[in-house]
Order: sequence, then C-alpha cells, then structure tokens
Amino acid sequence: MLLLQLLVNGLVTGCALGVVAFSFSLVYSTTKIFHVAHAGVYTLAGYLAWSLARAGMPDIVGLIVVPVVCAGFGVVIQRLLYDPLAQRRATHLVVLIASLGLLAIVQNAIAVLWSPDILHFDSTWRVQTIKLVGVTLNYAQIATVVVSVALYGATLFATRHTGIGKRIRAVASNPFLAELTRLHPRRTYAMVMALASALVAVPGMLVGFDLGLQPYTGTTVLLTGTVAVIAGGVGSLTGAFLVSIVVTVLQNLSLLVMPGQWSVGITFLIFVAFMLVRPRGLFAAA
Amino acid sequence: MDLLQIDGVAAGYGNKAVLSDLTLALRPGEVLALLGHNGAGKTTALRTIAGLLPARRGTVTLAGTRVEAMSVAQRQALGLRLLPEGRGIFPDLSVAENLDVVAAANCRGAGDLFGMADVFGLFPVLQERRGVRAGSMSGGQQQMLALSLAILGTPRCLMMDEPSIGLAPNIVARIFELVRDLCVKHAMGVLLVEQNVAAAMKIADRIVIMNNGEIVFAGRPDEARAANVWHYF
Repeated sequence: MLLLQLLVNGLVTGCALGVVAFSFSLVYSTTKIFHVAHAGVYTLAGYLAWSLARAGMPDIVGLIVVPVVCAGFGVVIQRLLYDPLAQRRATHLVVLIASLGLLAIVQNAIAVLWSPDILHFDSTWRVQTIKLVGVTLNYAQIATVVVSVALYGATLFATRHTGIGKRIRAVASNPFLAELTRLHPRRTYAMVMALASALVAVPGMLVGFDLGLQPYTGTTVLLTGTVAVIAGGVGSLTGAFLVSIVVTVLQNLSLLVMPGQWSVGITFLIFVAFMLVRPRGLFAAA
Repeated sequence: MDLLQIDGVAAGYGNKAVLSDLTLALRPGEVLALLGHNGAGKTTALRTIAGLLPARRGTVTLAGTRVEAMSVAQRQALGLRLLPEGRGIFPDLSVAENLDVVAAANCRGAGDLFGMADVFGLFPVLQERRGVRAGSMSGGQQQMLALSLAILGTPRCLMMDEPSIGLAPNIVARIFELVRDLCVKHAMGVLLVEQNVAAAMKIADRIVIMNNGEIVFAGRPDEARAANVWHYF
C-alpha cells in the first residue's frame, strides 16, 4: 500500500510540476529566454492567494484573481526587463543573469513582506480527504490533478487550433519572418509571458494549499521543471508535462529504497539516463 | 510616378558604412534586378528599404508616402514586402498554418490582391500539401510557400533576396516567370537581388549593378550585355 500511496503522491506533485514545466517551455521556445524568474511568479502566486484568504476571501476567489494578477506581472517583466535587454542586444547569458536577479528580488521581497518561515492556509482543502483502494487523497491533491490536466489539455488545444496559438508557434519557429509578416513578435512575447505566468500561478496556489508556502522552494521546483523540459524535448508541451510526472513518480518511489535527501540527486540521475538514450529529448520534433 | 524611390540613402552596421549615397527608382509593373558580387551592398539596400536597418541619411518613398522613419510592420502594411533569403517560411508549422497565420495578419477580405484562394490558384501544390510540415517540403515548394507568404494581402512592391539559392534551374525559371506575370498584371514593382545573373537578366526590365555600396551600372539587360560589366561579378 505504501507503494501505491507513493505512486499517487508522485502523480499529484508531478501534475503540478508539469504545469510549471510546460509553461516554462512555452516561454523558452517562443522567446528563447531561460526565464528562471518564472519560479518567482510561481511562489508569488501562493502568497497572494494566502493574503486573499487571510482577508476573508474564499479560496476560489484567489484561484481566479491571482492568475490574472500574475499575467500582468508577466507582461511587466517582459516590457520592463526582457524587451529593453533585447533592444540593447543583450546575450542569452546576460538575460539569464537578469532573470536570476529578478528571482532573488522576488523571493527576498516575499520573505520580507510575508515571512521567511513556512505559512499554512487555514482552509479545509488539506484536511478533507477521501480514501480510494487504500490510498488517501486530500481535496487539494485531487484539485491539483484535475486542474493541471485540464490546463495542459486547454493549452495544447489553444496552441494548435486558435489564431493566437498559431501566431505564438509561428513566432517561435521564425521570429525574423514574423517581424516581416506583421505578426508583431514583441507583442506576441508579452502575450506568451502573460499566458505562462497565469498558468504557473495555478500550481503555485494548489501546492500551497496542500503543503504550505516557503519563499525559496520555487527554485528547486523550477530546476526539476527545466529538467523535464529538456528531457521531454524542448518545444514539446506534451514532453514537458509527461516527463514531469514520470520524474516525480520515480523520485517518490525512490523513497522506498533510499532516504528522502537523495531525491534531487535521483532527479538528475534520471535526467542523465534520459539524455544518454535520447539526447534531443523524448518528444523532440524530427 | 515612381512606385518606390530611394534617394541618397546611407546605411551600415556599427562603424562600417555600407551604403553612402544610394539612389534608385522603381516603376509600377517593372522588375529591377540589383546585381553585384558578395558584399556589394545589395542585401543591405533591401534591409534598409524594408526597415530592418535604419537609413542614416536620405529618403525612401513608397507611392508618394515617405516611409524611412516607419517600422518594418508599418511599411509592410503599406505593401512593401520582403522575401528574405532562405528563411521565408515557418518551418515548424504546417503549410495551411503558415498561410492562416499570415493571412490573419495581412488579409482584409474582398479588397485584397491575394487571398488564400488566389495563392492556392497560383500554387496548387500548396493546397495538396496543406497538412504537411512546411520545413519538410522540397526547396522549391518551400520557396513557393515563402513567396505566397510575402504576397498575401495587397503587395505593391515585392523585394526578393536571392530567391534562386539552392533551387533547381527549372524551378527558378518557373518561379521567376510567375513573378514577372504577377508584376505586370497587378502593376507591382519587383526589386530582385540575385547572384544568378543569367536568370535575373531574363526577367528584368532594368539592371542595376552595385560595387562597394555604389551603383556602377544602370540600364537594360541588352545594354548590360553590350557593355563590359562582367568584371563586377
């Protein structure tokens, strides 16, 4: 039964991580920016939801309002940080450092404005549980799986079948031609940042409901997410989402045979194994 | 009246001045071939006219409208189109998606010179292959798609940067003939930059040869053949 419980826990965490990973992938494949500050948006979302809950709002209000606020934050990051750097022809390394700097600022600001210690939600998501064939799941975990899979499906559909989705993929495929054919790449980048920031806010809140909030955990989450993005094949939303789940499930199962502090090591072991077998990633385009 | 007028344009990269004083005029329904060896300044001229590179001096006028201070997108909306060298398609999208996304941004409906149906009429093979990933098509088919993307909507002046590179001679001949027909039929101007001098001479009404950023010859193809211009290549 422990095996089954670990498997299900891995699946839940993996779904949340999957949303972090595929939203990061969306930004990276379109803008070519290694947007590590994405982890800051993820973390901020949880704290904003916590404050709204403290102010007496039902959690559902946070789940709706916070992604909108984070979308705006994403646009601000693009317009005030990444766009000016691009106009000054900054190299990828410079942009990465800028993004890291922003992440540090967001995390420290959160520690100052809220608390450097763990914060828990008072809501009942965590204590209401159901039991299924010997596995216990709380409501936050169930919501995480349902909402994450829905977001993945909706994003995949949107990128394939909507005008905005096709435009995003066109800009990702050939930004130079996008400029020449009036697809407005810079506007599209801001749109992608808004979308990805709104998406990453959701697991930021749902994981917070379940496990509470800490200012600095987002970094490890994003690191694991980027492993999934690369192992899944850069540019593939499906690869990022599925590999996130596989990695997290394996990480959880490793608890059966070795202590928990090895789990990050296990992640990278899986990563190396993936890279040796499929160096371009599992779902890379031919 | 001239369709496109370039007057005393200077442009370059960083400290390097490539063009110092370029003056050119293109009439409606005319194919003008801009020739010269590598580094003569042809591509720089196209990039400057398209707005990818700022003009440091001089004016660019399209059908009476000064455009040298406009963005790439604004010039494109006025009908100034560039078919870039080797990168004219969205390789990861299907053929239909390529056309959809560009048509959505550039077609307005009834008043357009080229809508989706017109493009399929010009290149039936694109309709047959509409579901195929654009980057997996042959070079000739990719160039047909690139040309389609460049003309969707209402082009008035089409600039083509080395469109023959990597293509079989018969494909080049077919595409050039088609461009020539469209140019005459719709009173478009075509500014053609080419290394393939023989193919360019066949469809050009006028030839301009550049060397070190300056125009060293301008005239009809037969005049170019008569004059001793070959040492510029």
